[in-house]
Amino acid sequence: MTFLKTIAVAALMTATAGSAIAQEASKLQQVLDRGYLILGTGSTNPPWHFIDSDNKLKGFDVDMGRLVAKALFGDPDKIEYVQQSGDARIPNLVTDKVDLACQFMTVTAERAQQIEFTIPYYREGVGLLQMEGGEYADYEALKAAGSDVTVAVLQNVYAEEMVHAALPEAEVDQYDSVDLMYQALNSGRADAAATDQSALRWFMVKNPGRYHDAGYGWNPQSYSCGVKPGDQRWLNFVNTVLHEGMTGVEFPFYADSFKTWFGTELSVPQIGFPVEYK
Amino acid sequence: MNFSLFLTELWNARMNLLAGLGDTVLISVASVLLGTFLGVFVGLAMTYGNKPTRFGVRLYIDFLRGTPVFVLILACFYILSVVGLDLSAFQAGVLALTMFCSSHVGEIVRGALKAIPAGQTEAAKSIGLTFGQTFAYVLLPQALRQILPTWVNTATEIVKASTLLSIIGVVELLLATQQVISRTYLSLEFYLFVGFVYFILNFLIEQAGRAVERRISIP
Repeated sequence: MTFLKTIAVAALMTATAGSAIAQEASKLQQVLDRGYLILGTGSTNPPWHFIDSDNKLKGFDVDMGRLVAKALFGDPDKIEYVQQSGDARIPNLVTDKVDLACQFMTVTAERAQQIEFTIPYYREGVGLLQMEGGEYADYEALKAAGSDVTVAVLQNVYAEEMVHAALPEAEVDQYDSVDLMYQALNSGRADAAATDQSALRWFMVKNPGRYHDAGYGWNPQSYSCGVKPGDQRWLNFVNTVLHEGMTGVEFPFYADSFKTWFGTELSVPQIGFPVEYK
Repeated sequence: MNFSLFLTELWNARMNLLAGLGDTVLISVASVLLGTFLGVFVGLAMTYGNKPTRFGVRLYIDFLRGTPVFVLILACFYILSVVGLDLSAFQAGVLALTMFCSSHVGEIVRGALKAIPAGQTEAAKSIGLTFGQTFAYVLLPQALRQILPTWVNTATEIVKASTLLSIIGVVELLLATQQVISRTYLSLEFYLFVGFVYFILNFLIEQAGRAVERRISIP
């Protein structure tokens, strides 16, 4: 019995000592020593993370990782990508398979109990895509037309409810895939397609002049990168990098990426009094 | 279906798809070979082992066969890394498929050996063959004829199960295809295409199995 106790105590002491050392050496130092960042992201969702026709992983999530790599090594390409599925985002962080996950991760309280979120780098929402020169000019016209309007949406349990939150009387047609949804809009079966603002913007970037945004967004959700909990130093570092991307010295990098994937030119953060407190 | 657009995109993505195919073949070949090797020992232990060995191996087989491959893959990747064995996604995937394959091959081998009348082993013993010799010259050649058809079945199962490795981030053929689809939206065309490629792979395995069967069959 005493022997077992000794072993148990020894094991406990080793474990505590181990975690004490781990706390001293921040992920930041580990990554710097390693010489490259291990970024967890997906590979099948443009414009967030996808393999482009030149066989490279690209997208807005990827650019956020590149921003962090640039801050670490002065070189945005010093990244090893782990092309993970959406389900793997949290497990891969918790088991140290990746240093950082930037994969259009919606900030929720449940997730925040398992990992730590950085500051958000994008606010996602649902928007309405319309054909240029179509019957209804914008959101107001769609809303005024009431039940005459048909909206195409990706099949989903909450699809009907989601559309009705913006257009209470509209007909809702659900489609199996994104291409079918856009097909419905092109062929005039639907007057508008309701989809994520980012997807809608990307589609407009890919097909300039054919479509426009009805000008109304709803269902807000924040997208943040995630890190393994318990390493404040590393979290602060990534937060600082993202923050300065959106407001400081790296603004051109962030704005350039934003323009590429969402087609919108961002205005330069106001000089003088910090924008955060306005 | 837009055929010419599909061909253009297929040509554009050829290197990625080939790399994916390479990974799929490598994963399948490694898992089937290792799994078969391990499986033969599992089968032998099930047939000739003493009671505690048989009980342990039975647990191993039942546990692996009773668990979805998907869960096995996740367990090999995540649970092992918590324990301190940090395998890459590729290694963890091959390990999971190897274990899955070995449990099936183990059952196949056990069944095949059990089907050979005990009198043959006794006869081999009486003329002074060692167990190794008995196995290699008397039992295995006969068992192989039983094993092959079901073994081919297991091998094709492994090829199909390799698609599940995409969940832990191995870019095998299916994930490589999904990456192309996400850019081009040509879902129907590319899924049909990749389905055809998997069929060809499994057809080749089946034909190879048939060829071996012909060689070892009693004339």
